[in-house]
Amino acid sequence: MADFKQQLKALLGEAEIYKSQGLVDEARAKYKTAAELIRSKPNIKNRDGLLDAIRAKIGQLQKQQIDADQVVQSPKLSPKAQNLIKNLFIATDEEHPDDAALQAAIMMAKIGQFESAITEFNKLIQKDRLRVAAAKHILQCHLAKSSEREAIEQYRRWIEDGGFPPRQLETVRQYLEEILQQKGIKRRLPSPKIETEDKADQIPEPETESETEEDFIDITSIAISFEGGPHKGKTVEFDVNFQSGNMLSLIISKNEADVLEGLDDGMKLNDIQFFSPIAIFSGAGVVVSKTQIKSGPKQGDYCLDIRITST
Amino acid sequence: MAIFNLKKREIECKIVYYGPGRCGKTTNLEFIFKSYKKQVRGEMVSINTEGDRTLFFDFLPMGLGKIRGCDVRVQLYTVPGQVKYSSTRKLVLRGVDGVVFVADSLEVRREKNMLSLKDLQSNLKEYGKSIFKVPLVMQYNKRDLAEQGIPLMPLEQMERDLNRQLKVPSFPASAVKGAGVGVTLKECLKLTLKALQKEFKWAQ
Ligand SMILES: Nc1nc2c(ncn2[C@@H]2O[C@H](COP(=O)(O)OP(=O)(O)OP(=O)(O)O)[C@@H](O)[C@H]2O)c(=O)[nH]1
Ligand SMILES: [Mg+2]
Repeated sequence: MADFKQQLKALLGEAEIYKSQGLVDEARAKYKTAAELIRSKPNIKNRDGLLDAIRAKIGQLQKQQIDADQVVQSPKLSPKAQNLIKNLFIATDEEHPDDAALQAAIMMAKIGQFESAITEFNKLIQKDRLRVAAAKHILQCHLAKSSEREAIEQYRRWIEDGGFPPRQLETVRQYLEEILQQKGIKRRLPSPKIETEDKADQIPEPETESETEEDFIDITSIAISFEGGPHKGKTVEFDVNFQSGNMLSLIISKNEADVLEGLDDGMKLNDIQFFSPIAIFSGAGVVVSKTQIKSGPKQGDYCLDIRITST
Repeated sequence: MAIFNLKKREIECKIVYYGPGRCGKTTNLEFIFKSYKKQVRGEMVSINTEGDRTLFFDFLPMGLGKIRGCDVRVQLYTVPGQVKYSSTRKLVLRGVDGVVFVADSLEVRREKNMLSLKDLQSNLKEYGKSIFKVPLVMQYNKRDLAEQGIPLMPLEQMERDLNRQLKVPSFPASAVKGAGVGVTLKECLKLTLKALQKEFKWAQ
């Protein structure tokens, strides 16, 4: 009997420690072992009381887990934290701080911090070289928030502001129209006025985008044909939410999470169709990461990063 | 990648604390923040969830003063250990100069340690770095729990599991009590600065 008591005490002690350290699964396993131990001794007095107590402990754990998974509901990161994220990139690309800032903003968008990302993209719109890329990402943020109207409004404001060189804005217009069309929204957007008589126009325009951005044409959606796994033989189409060079990010609703089954990190996808405003082509890619968005309007949805490996 | 300013004779390097969820990375940084006031150069920034788990990273800037005529600054980061934050871990690891791998001594976390070390290796590889070449130190944390009768792995077993091939310096620790935290960091700094001296040929 003394032995039993000792054993039970040790198990419960372990469970408590694991619980206090946030090791919920480990704590639950110990409570369960403790319960089995009690059940195996039919003659213990107060047996039912003990079992009830353990059940209550396991219940508490469940609650602790849910609480811990609830990310702080702060749709905005503190300015200091945002700066750090930016610096994470800048520290590694000192010569191109703007490109680094662009990458950082894309990262914020990918973790669902759309408002912060838009603020950052708006700063980059001032830079000629990154203007088009930043503008496209701003539109993508609005679209990711399912606010097509805001994307169109934003485009209109750019036309009215006049700060956007017409040729660059025209690229943005084509891009937005294409995406809207893919979403089933047929909409002719007003074109910016391009003054063809203007002499300055004959001077070749400076490269509008950074090399890394322009290496690759814009891809608005992709279709993956599954060669194995639970979806073998099926072809599934996805919108591309963010693109940076050959890296595509897709945001996939938690309600559609089952298509993600089998799409694990490192998986090669040998049959992808890429849809871009100018062409449809096929090629291959690899799944770089699959993560769940922790906060903001897209909380619980997934972000799938795919790197294009060949076209 | 360390930033080296030859003219101002300044060097800034980045050390990342890596390891499975709940192994004590944040606790290491908290202890350093409290105990090395003279070297700490600002606030510790933590981006957490409610349950205290690291969501993005912790960050702590330090200054070591002049070493061989060069002003040395160090940025300490922790990664979020939970498996689901894989892309964030990769991001935080970008440009790393030295790594502290914090392993959890709890027997129940044995497999998690090994998985996390593999994850470190593959993330380093993505940045073109080899786990065998990067300045790396192991810490076997939570040794204090033995006193409370909690099953821990013997140090020899942890060495076999995690350090048989790497053969890097390793230290037992109790981050909550602060034991072993300083030596771990100092050893990692030593290895990191040595590697950087070789790379930048400073102080010759
Ligand atoms: N007894 C004991 N507990 C520790 C020790 N180090 C950390 N802990 C506890 O373990 C739990 C997790 O510690 P953290 O420092 O938050 O762990 P982490 O590695 O940052 O975890 P993630 O951010 O989720 O990756 C906390 O409850 C700590 O108090 C230690 O040396 N001994
Ligand atoms: Mg942490």
